[in-house]
This record gives sequence, C-alpha cells and structure tokens, in this order.
Amino acid sequence: MLNFFHNSYLFVLIEKLIKFINSIFFVLLLIALSFALIFSPPDYLQGDSVRIMYVHVPAAWISLGSFSCIAILSILNFIFKIKNLKLITKSIAPIGLMFTCIAIVTGSIWGQPTWGTFWAWDARITSMVILALLYLIFIAIHKFFDDDDKANKISSIVAVIGLINIPIIKYSVLWWNTLHQPASIKITGTSTIHSSMLMPLLLMFFVLILYCALIFLMKYKTEIIRIKKKNLKRYDQ
Amino acid sequence: MINNLINMSGYGIFVWSSFVITFLICGLVYYKTRKTLKKYEKEFAKEIEELSAQQKKIVLKNSKIASKILSSYNKTI
Repeated sequence: MLNFFHNSYLFVLIEKLIKFINSIFFVLLLIALSFALIFSPPDYLQGDSVRIMYVHVPAAWISLGSFSCIAILSILNFIFKIKNLKLITKSIAPIGLMFTCIAIVTGSIWGQPTWGTFWAWDARITSMVILALLYLIFIAIHKFFDDDDKANKISSIVAVIGLINIPIIKYSVLWWNTLHQPASIKITGTSTIHSSMLMPLLLMFFVLILYCALIFLMKYKTEIIRIKKKNLKRYDQ
Repeated sequence: MINNLINMSGYGIFVWSSFVITFLICGLVYYKTRKTLKKYEKEFAKEIEELSAQQKKIVLKNSKIASKILSSYNKTI
C-alpha cells in the first residue's frame, strides 16, 4: 500500500490521469456549455444575465476550496512533515489564484446589469480581493525565496492565517448588509435554486474541477521533474 | 435562434464576455503549464544525455522516476 504513494508510482498514475482527463474533457465541456448557454432557462428577474452564474459560482467555489485545501495541507505538513504536501500546495496555489481572479472579474461583469455598477466595496467582494492577495503572497514567497524549507514555512503560516478569511467570505452576506444575495445552494437544508439551473451549474462545476485536476497534475509532474533535475546535479559533480 | 443566442435579450455582451474571459484564461494557463512541463522534460532528458554512460546507468538504476520521465519524454517526441 505504501508503495502506491511512492513518487514513481504516483508519476505513472499522474500520466494516466492526464491522458484520461484530456480524452473526456472537451466532450464534457461542450455538454456543460450547451446547458449553460442554451438549454437552461433565463431567470424570472435577472433574465439571461443569470447565465454568468455558470462560470462565476463554480470559480468562486473552486477559489475557496483551493485555499482551504492549501491551509489544511499546510497544517498537516507542519505536523507530519510530508515532503509531497508542499509540492501539492505549491501546485494548487496558481489554480486558486486564477479562479479567484475569474470569480472577481465575472462577478464584476454580472454586477453591471444586476446592480448597475461594475464594482462596489461590499464585504464579499472585498474579502475575495483579500483572498486573491493571499494567493499572490503565497506564490510570491515560493518564487522569491531560494531556500525551499524557509519558503515552505513562511507560505504555510500565510495559508493558516489566511484560513480566517474563508468563513468571512462565506458568511459575509449574512453578517453584513451587502449587495450579494444569501446562498441559494445549501449543503444542509433546502436549496432555493430550481433543478433546471442547479443541474447545469453542477455540470459546469464538475468540468472546471476536471480542468483544475488536469492543471494540478501537470504542475505536480513539473515539480517532480524539477526536483529530480536538481538531484541530477549531484551525479554531475 | 442564433440572434437570440448572441443577443440574450440584451445581456449578450455581459454573458459572452464572462464566458470568453473565463475560457481564454483557462486556455492560456493550460498552454503555459503544458509548455513549462515539456520544457522541464526536455531539459531533464538533455541533462541525462550529457552524463557519461556509467553515470547514466547509475541514475537510471537508482531512480525509477528518472527512467519514467525519460520514457515519457521519448514518447512525446
């Protein structure tokens, strides 16, 4: 069982997964886009502008999920000192930053027809901007510190402190008066979104998760090669 | 129907720009990530080739992953 987690086995598994995701991704993307842009109904109040939800909401979910994942893995890394965990967090961070930016930009575009403005410093938007900054700091630390261990320690502290921001983003719509509406989809309790909109939303979320997995696996593979390349220099001397 | 799809009751500019921006960013990140991966694979293979026959043999014997990277690179060229 432990052999399964060995890098060489992981490497083969990563290659197989990349091939598998590549083979199904475009078909699923086309189906998800068809539902999001054509088959799903317009909203009774927002009309067709509600379709922005199909990229905005999954992007926001992924950005929150990625940061929570980074913070939890950083805590685990502090406790168990598992080398692979820092590679995983380093590979997830750019994906999280990308989806945070997508959520902010698409949210801003959605704001114009819905609220009449592209930008407002309301609680949720501000906390999302802070999340983007936390991602930027996390990535910058890894980029500018030559010492991997030091970079890992500092970035882990940033991730753990930044974890406080996640419930603030989630509950900002309840704690403060904001332009955002309260959540329509609830894990515990009844969701207020109709199934004809929920299905395309979940489908788009699944496709974007597949995309994240693809990028993550490629980044993780790159990190493994980078480390092996560094190790090669020992033989060269 | 095509007109309705493009216009989206006047919201077309907002909806389409959101989707185009999202998938353009996703496409660019995919392209850049893939390019970096290929670059590292190529550099790794090049460095292995530059080692002496004996060193190369030791590296491939000691590191299963090195041989996997090399075979993965050879498959793509």
